[in-house]
Amino acid sequence: MALMPKRVKHRKSQRGRIKGNATRGNRVVFGDFGLQTTEAGWISAQTIEAGRIAAQQYLREEGRLYIRVFPDKSVSSIPLETRMGKGKGEPDYWAASVKPGTVLFEIGGTTEEAARICFRRLAHKMPVATRLLHRRAI
Amino acid sequence: MADSLQVEKRDIRGKKRLRRLRDTGTIPAVLYGHKLEAISLSVSGGDVTAIINHGARMVDLTGAVNESALIRDVQWDTFGHHPIHVDFTRVAADERVEMVVAIEFRGEAPGIKEGGVVQHLLHELQIECPAGQIPEKIEVSINELALDDTIRVSDLKLDPSITVLDDETQSIVHCVLPTEQPEEGEGDLLGESAEPEVIGRKDEEESDD
Repeated sequence: MALMPKRVKHRKSQRGRIKGNATRGNRVVFGDFGLQTTEAGWISAQTIEAGRIAAQQYLREEGRLYIRVFPDKSVSSIPLETRMGKGKGEPDYWAASVKPGTVLFEIGGTTEEAARICFRRLAHKMPVATRLLHRRAI
Repeated sequence: MADSLQVEKRDIRGKKRLRRLRDTGTIPAVLYGHKLEAISLSVSGGDVTAIINHGARMVDLTGAVNESALIRDVQWDTFGHHPIHVDFTRVAADERVEMVVAIEFRGEAPGIKEGGVVQHLLHELQIECPAGQIPEKIEVSINELALDDTIRVSDLKLDPSITVLDDETQSIVHCVLPTEQPEEGEGDLLGESAEPEVIGRKDEEESDD
């Protein structure tokens, strides 16, 4: 099931602007390798779920996948063939707003080769450019 | 033998000036410790990256200062590509220091053939050892890790000069049966109509009534 918040303060959110690079969530913390975005963008809950399925189909029961982003931004839309005006549309889907440098997914317990192949499959689902990131001791 | 690193004294300070310094491929650094005065330095960013990627933690500083130092902390840019600042601590080779060292797993666990999954629970180990003998990484062999086996910190065979500061009962790696995950249909992906609870909405409605 696609991710979404359990409770929210407001049903609809403003679009906002994604400025600057990520200063948090930009390091590999849980696994051994990470998939880092090099672009800013919105990643919908469906996209995250599609990536998770693509990765887990490859990993099977080997290794562990960590999802590092959560879709907490509601994106609204108006129905087709609707006249302009009459206020903001209803929430359509949930998205995670990511800045360049954010680690989207992590993998632990596999070889680097397996992680690379897995992330390649996963990256095809992502709407942003990504790169592989290693865990650093210092 | 420790790698040598050419350093220069640095007088410039401030965000803008240091950004210009980094544009030239040189990064700011600081040397402190042993209750002596802290010295602002600048070093080549490429040399620092090479030394860190090589796994060295002790360096012999040459140029503006001539002493051995430990790379205590490194600040990286957003993408973890380039270092942007380095902290050096003055140490003698026989001085005991506390460090965090990466754990590397070697081999293939026989438990995988029995249907198990190897889970790495600890990636770094906090140790105390002489500064001249800091290991690049701690290798843990999982060649004898059967199903339902666990390797703990107390099972590690380390050099006698190394003292582990982490809890000895802590698990490093284990091999367990995979947890069953419920199969999810495509309908779950598309049929996302439920909305989350809005905080405070119920209270407002009640107050209106």
